[in-house]
Amino acid sequence: MLVIIVPGGVMTEKSIQVNVEKIREILDKNNGARIRTWLSICSRCGLCAESCLFYLANDRNPRFAPAYKVQRTLGTIYKKKGKVTPEFLMECYDIAWGECTTCKRCSLFCPFGIDIASMISLVRTICYSQGLVPEGLARTLPNYEKFGNQMAVSKEDLIETCEWMVEEAADYVKGVTIPLDVAGARYMYTINPREVMFYPQDLGMAAQIFTVAGESWTIPTSGWDSTNLAMFAGANELAGTVADRMYKKALELGVEAILITECGHAMRSAGYEGPYLAGYRNGRPPVPVVHSVQLFYEYLRDGKIQIDPAKRIDAPVTYQDPCNVSRNAGLWEQGREILKFVCNDFRDMSPNRHYNHCCGGGGGFIPMGGPFRKRRLRAGRVKAEQIRKTGAKIVVTPCHNCYDQLNDLNKEYDLGVRIVSLKELLVETMIVPDHLRPDSAGDERQEG
Amino acid sequence: MAQKVEFKGKVFEVDEDGFIQSFDQWCPEWVEFVKQSEGIEELTEGHWKVIHMLQDYYQKHGIAPMVRILTKVTGYKLKEIYELFPSGPGKGACKMAGLPKPTGCV
Repeated sequence: MLVIIVPGGVMTEKSIQVNVEKIREILDKNNGARIRTWLSICSRCGLCAESCLFYLANDRNPRFAPAYKVQRTLGTIYKKKGKVTPEFLMECYDIAWGECTTCKRCSLFCPFGIDIASMISLVRTICYSQGLVPEGLARTLPNYEKFGNQMAVSKEDLIETCEWMVEEAADYVKGVTIPLDVAGARYMYTINPREVMFYPQDLGMAAQIFTVAGESWTIPTSGWDSTNLAMFAGANELAGTVADRMYKKALELGVEAILITECGHAMRSAGYEGPYLAGYRNGRPPVPVVHSVQLFYEYLRDGKIQIDPAKRIDAPVTYQDPCNVSRNAGLWEQGREILKFVCNDFRDMSPNRHYNHCCGGGGGFIPMGGPFRKRRLRAGRVKAEQIRKTGAKIVVTPCHNCYDQLNDLNKEYDLGVRIVSLKELLVETMIVPDHLRPDSAGDERQEG
Repeated sequence: MAQKVEFKGKVFEVDEDGFIQSFDQWCPEWVEFVKQSEGIEELTEGHWKVIHMLQDYYQKHGIAPMVRILTKVTGYKLKEIYELFPSGPGKGACKMAGLPKPTGCV
């Protein structure tokens, strides 16, 4: 018997009461015509199968073909007009969260361009409406509601961590600051709460880079979390609120753009799904959204950040394209351009850019935690093999979930690589101009 | 599903991420058991100081403290925490202290 753990305890087929009305309501609301068209024009050609990392990592078992996964779940829900059994809903739960990271690679191979990932997301919404959602995602939802961020960080905690990181970063760059709530700044820098809770060095490094680049930036003390796990949980209403909180804050501060930290799904939320979730009917965010990979590239291109030739990286380096930054936001060249400035031996994975495979950690898989770990590492086999073939010793990625997944894959498949963010590489290699050098600065750079 | 592991006569229920299933099962042997996979050769006073702080905080608040609080109470710099626990405060130190894996994108 399949058992699903949700925050209220354990759910089995006996404890699920299917609310058919609610399912129908969701089906009616979500572009019924478009989805019905997609479901009916799918000719079962199978081109999507070879594109899917779950299919490839599971010995080409046809059960993992994207077309099958969506016909089996949403197709059946439509056919039965929402009248489904608890057992069937549990199967939907299993497929929608455990066998798809909504990476959208299959859409590139579909002759009709069918957006399978969006349909899987709809299955998640339906499951969520019936109380079925992975515990790891569900636990973050009340945090978004009560604290405005996924990890229940208070405003005071955020401010104190920023102040602390300014102190630490001052050892490397003189006059470094983290400006809070500055109206009229060029960029409102939004982050992932993990940076406050467990990786504050990310904030310190960002502050160093922005200070050296002479940037006008600010971190807001509300609306600062650009992650959106409600989006991956299928909790669409809350997901809209989460995205809108950030847009409203940016409008209030009158900034030019929202800048997204090195996080993939934050870009997906802020840049192109959030507007729909928050009810902006033209699908555009009310304030422009820029990802760090874009801004860092511009700094190097325009000479605002210069790389010390003596510190360029000699070890072979490869780049992990986060699906939500490269394929889904079109930013696949910027990361490579940055690495041309920073490394001597860059080696691309194959396939790459918008065709790159998901690492297996996307779509909520990392926060979904333990119960999904085995499948996550198995799906990641495709990525592990890609990395190994490059012979790279350093894997760079501007996404926290890629970062965590690659670290797990590194151990699981014994890859012997170091995983780094763009910030880490930039801070290690950039020239700190004389006027910003702390008086007693040595050459030692921070690590970790 | 949790797995049972035995070490020095103690039995621990461990989740898929290698964290012990419940804080009540924690005992010093757990730290011994996990240290190797966490890349720690020898346990020092520093490790214990961090572990005890995490446990005190967890017992009072029911969640892991953010790193800022950890550094303030123990007096260690961030860099020193990473030297003590190479896989970091959220994953490495919390795991050794018997706390559950933190919620969210970690």
